[in-house]
Amino acid sequence: MKLKRGTMLVDPPACASSDIAFTLIIFFLVCAAVQPETGMSQLLPKTEEKADKREQSQNIEVSITPTGIVLNGNPLQLIEFSQRIADALKAKTREADRIVVVKSAPETPYPIWIEVSQAIDQAGGIITLELESEKTINVR
Amino acid sequence: MKLPRKKLTASVPSFAMGDIAFLLLIFFVILARAQDDSHLQWQPAKLKDVKMQASPLASVTIDTALKTYLDGKEIDPSELAAGLSAILGDTPAGERNVFLKVHREAKASDFEPVISAISEAGGDLIHILEPDKETPIR
Repeated sequence: MKLKRGTMLVDPPACASSDIAFTLIIFFLVCAAVQPETGMSQLLPKTEEKADKREQSQNIEVSITPTGIVLNGNPLQLIEFSQRIADALKAKTREADRIVVVKSAPETPYPIWIEVSQAIDQAGGIITLELESEKTINVR
Repeated sequence: MKLPRKKLTASVPSFAMGDIAFLLLIFFVILARAQDDSHLQWQPAKLKDVKMQASPLASVTIDTALKTYLDGKEIDPSELAAGLSAILGDTPAGERNVFLKVHREAKASDFEPVISAISEAGGDLIHILEPDKETPIR
């Protein structure tokens, strides 16, 4: 004769379910909290209206388009540009001479713009954005 | 003869404490979520030599729909400078960090007015970017 084995039910006590939920929430909050963010900083002096166009024309001019970069009228690719901008700024010691006027075509994608911006920054240039609304921003 | 008045006790059942704590927690989580921008959809551009950044006073996002948000709330770029000035207040320079999160497909016509507004408010601009996997994060 076969004896039936009694099934053993081990239920967690129902009154503890809210405590379990609370602990789970704390766990997920801690897991999701504060993801460190990475990026590139730029100090921006306050926006200024363009005052003297003659002075700006002596600075290095960079035009960014969706297809390429133009440095003082010479079309370049990004790798070449990094080298050329570093060479152009090497000889310039005065802060006023290190200003680089950046004009972007409206369709310029952000990844290209940020790469050019980083190249100028690493070469020691002071970026000045020239916007269509005749506002200039100094980016350092 | 003075009859003793029956004392009425009104206590919160102790087994409900967990439920109360749970509901309070949910309340505060929802409150906190309403102020941040984690619900916004955007993809960062990749760049070499990115650094860890300190916490910001304000966060400006251009999302996948190319709309501009200040601390998670949609704002017109023309009103951004005023909004940022109000948040940054008299905070000294160097501590006026403003995170700029630009969706990788945004164009200059979308993000340059935003940079201009941050500049106008005197914010310390920090572009939030994804590190290129080839280079380690410093």
